[in-house]
Amino acid sequence: MSRAACPESSLLTARRGDMCYCPGCSHAAVLESLGAAMDRMGLRPEEVCIVSDIGCIGTADRYFSCHTFHGLHGRSITYAEGIKRARPGMSVIVLIGDGGCGIGTAHLVHAARRGIGIKILVCNNFNFGMTGGQHSPTTPPEARTATTPGGAVERPFDICQTVIANGAAHAGRFSALDADLSDKIEAALRSPGFALLDIWELCTAYFVPSNKFKPTSFLPLSETFGLPLGLLRDMPTEVASTHQPEPPLTSRPSASPPSIAALAWPGRREICIAGSAGQRIRSAAGVLGEIAVAGGLFAAQLDDFPITVRKGHSVSELIVSDRPIRYSGVDRPDLVLILSDDGARRLGELSSLPAGCRVIADAAVTLPVIKASLQFIDLASLEKSSGRASAALAALCLGVLVQGWLDGPTVESAVGALGGRYVEGNLAAVRAARGCFDETARTQPHAALFPEAAS
Amino acid sequence: MREFLTGNQTVVRGALRAGCDFFAGYPITPASSILSDFVDAFADGGGRAVQTEDEIAAIGQCIGAAMTGARALTATSGPGMSLYSENIGLAQMGEVPLVIVDCQRMGPATGGATATGEGDVLFARHITSGGYPLPVLAATNAATAYRLTHEAFNIAERLRTPVILLSSKDIALTRQTVDLDEIPLAEKRARTMHGSDGDFHPYRVAELDDVPAFAPIGGPARVRFTGSIHDEEGLLTIDRRKIDRKLRHLDAKIQGARTSLELFDADIDPDAEALVICYGATDGAARDAVDEARSMGRRVSRLTLYSLWPVPGDAVRRAVTSYVRHLIVPELNIGLYVEEIRRVVRHGKISSLTRFDGGLIAPRTILNAVMEGFCG
Ligand code: SF4
Ligand SMILES: [Mg+2]
Repeated sequence: MSRAACPESSLLTARRGDMCYCPGCSHAAVLESLGAAMDRMGLRPEEVCIVSDIGCIGTADRYFSCHTFHGLHGRSITYAEGIKRARPGMSVIVLIGDGGCGIGTAHLVHAARRGIGIKILVCNNFNFGMTGGQHSPTTPPEARTATTPGGAVERPFDICQTVIANGAAHAGRFSALDADLSDKIEAALRSPGFALLDIWELCTAYFVPSNKFKPTSFLPLSETFGLPLGLLRDMPTEVASTHQPEPPLTSRPSASPPSIAALAWPGRREICIAGSAGQRIRSAAGVLGEIAVAGGLFAAQLDDFPITVRKGHSVSELIVSDRPIRYSGVDRPDLVLILSDDGARRLGELSSLPAGCRVIADAAVTLPVIKASLQFIDLASLEKSSGRASAALAALCLGVLVQGWLDGPTVESAVGALGGRYVEGNLAAVRAARGCFDETARTQPHAALFPEAAS
Repeated sequence: MREFLTGNQTVVRGALRAGCDFFAGYPITPASSILSDFVDAFADGGGRAVQTEDEIAAIGQCIGAAMTGARALTATSGPGMSLYSENIGLAQMGEVPLVIVDCQRMGPATGGATATGEGDVLFARHITSGGYPLPVLAATNAATAYRLTHEAFNIAERLRTPVILLSSKDIALTRQTVDLDEIPLAEKRARTMHGSDGDFHPYRVAELDDVPAFAPIGGPARVRFTGSIHDEEGLLTIDRRKIDRKLRHLDAKIQGARTSLELFDADIDPDAEALVICYGATDGAARDAVDEARSMGRRVSRLTLYSLWPVPGDAVRRAVTSYVRHLIVPELNIGLYVEEIRRVVRHGKISSLTRFDGGLIAPRTILNAVMEGFCG
């Protein structure tokens, strides 16, 4: 196949002599072959986007009449993927050098793995041309470059095997001097999946003179370093196309808003629930916050937990108020629930809790002497009636009942009306709390409820 | 209808309301739930949500999609913003409408993943090389996160620019009571499109502060996008006049919109002697403190800044009424933005109130600072 002579209708609009590349540079040959391939395929300019990376090949965008995108070094693959996702019908072709494949390796690997059908032409000339002939990830051992004056020592980066190992539908390694390069490119463009060609080139300004590199050097280079030339991967269309669609997205159902009878609440009340990961502390605070909001009140919930969510403390600060809440910090809690030693440790300075604050703690927790009114509960027995997953909510409901902020029937009907996936457990928690509490507890702590009451 | 939502949830709701149809992100505390919520939201096929290999790819995919016409948003925290840096410059140079949400956390470096901090306020403005301006907004709670996400899209679309919306851990993850239907939103704006007839010049503007008409990659008009210095055709140029014009334009289109970019809430007492200027998560405490000071008979004003860059200088100057002699600027960092206030307000006492241990500034702290001003 002869190279295109750049007819008027071609997507390639520049002739070799008008391109900016050094005499003999292979970039021009690759662009001509790409132009010829696209023209033969009858691609229209509006359905193609050439995404050019950085380096000498990064200037190629201007030589095409289709959509073009010239971005940052190594990131061309990411723009191409964004374009292809938004416009799946387009041919999105990346022109990138060996340097770009180094700095953008992560994108190369993951684009291959995801199988979005972008096409990547690597113009691999074994060094950085534009910046002055430094070594690149594909520079072969012993090669002289500006940054390997004594000869390169690193193993060359096998771009093809990298993308093949990660699911590329089509991959091959060819020479820019191959007479049928445009056919190879056309085959890559026709693959419905991710396709990459590693096209070996001559950089006549640097790599060629520094290494007496010649067109005949490709074959020994290929053999010495186990980098076979030729088509290395070509998935059948039916297989390749299964590689390219968007990953299926699944929806999690979102609950419809609950309708709860208006709740009466005595002003701004700050609550702190301190326990351990796994006690469902945040969920407990969330249930009270949700019924408050659904009941026409205002709530704010701020959670504190270490970066590992299944271990260590879990502390939720919850404010419920009959007025809008602007500052959502809890500085002077009215009610503190301490449900584990982790929680107690995280709370730290309990001695600073104001005298008006009620602290309800699991009897098993070690606590310092505090000014606030302290009462103990037996969390284990509460767990027995509520279920372990709902014990924190049971303790919280108990606190709300003891404080007299809401009464038992109101809490229970609100939690029932709230519904949701955990409604049964939540109701069990309310019932456990109500079981532990009777109306007299408001003025006089129930003996069974607070077996070791500090008073 | 009142709901119990985090700032991250309201960001997603605000974005959807603004027509967002592309999201790419990488998991990071405290921004991760924005990613999972977009995955849920776009499960109906109304948009694309992508979890990428890193933050660089996240913003890269957003930029690519935005240039096909998508309304794109990405969200991260400080460490991810560092990785966005270079691509934010690309979005500036290429004039890409894009919304970037920074759910700030304690820094520097990994800092405190689950600890709050609002130390990115200068970083956001100076996040990329070159020094050209980009609009930066700051949410104060779940409700303003909703409104400002919507507004960020409007600005991004109108000016073809990346817009950064700052949130922070205590906004992002705190569940608050909001009624989204009650929040007034500006009319939805779309980028000015290139008409169907006439030649398309990707970066042509009549006046320096105009915004070039947009044509999507994939549409009939051929788009030439570039992050290199370019002429109005999107071609690399070394012509100094063209370079000068392009770069003046990048500055002028933001500066020219300065007035409309001033977003704030002013609660001004014309006889005020003290003024609290706040932004971000300290807003709630400032409101409580100002109310408390007033109930004690003090004359105090409050100015909450919803836009930080360009510095809303007119709003600040107007808030400094005749008798104001003490400004209090509470911040969840080492006292960063107060220097911008000092550049605008050149007289009176300006107190910087700071906290950066992961806790919030309490109303009492601000109140004490306000009262001190009255004693001294
Ligand atoms: S420096 Fe090398 S790669 Fe660049 S144009 Fe010249 S020959 Fe080609
Ligand atoms: Mg190279």
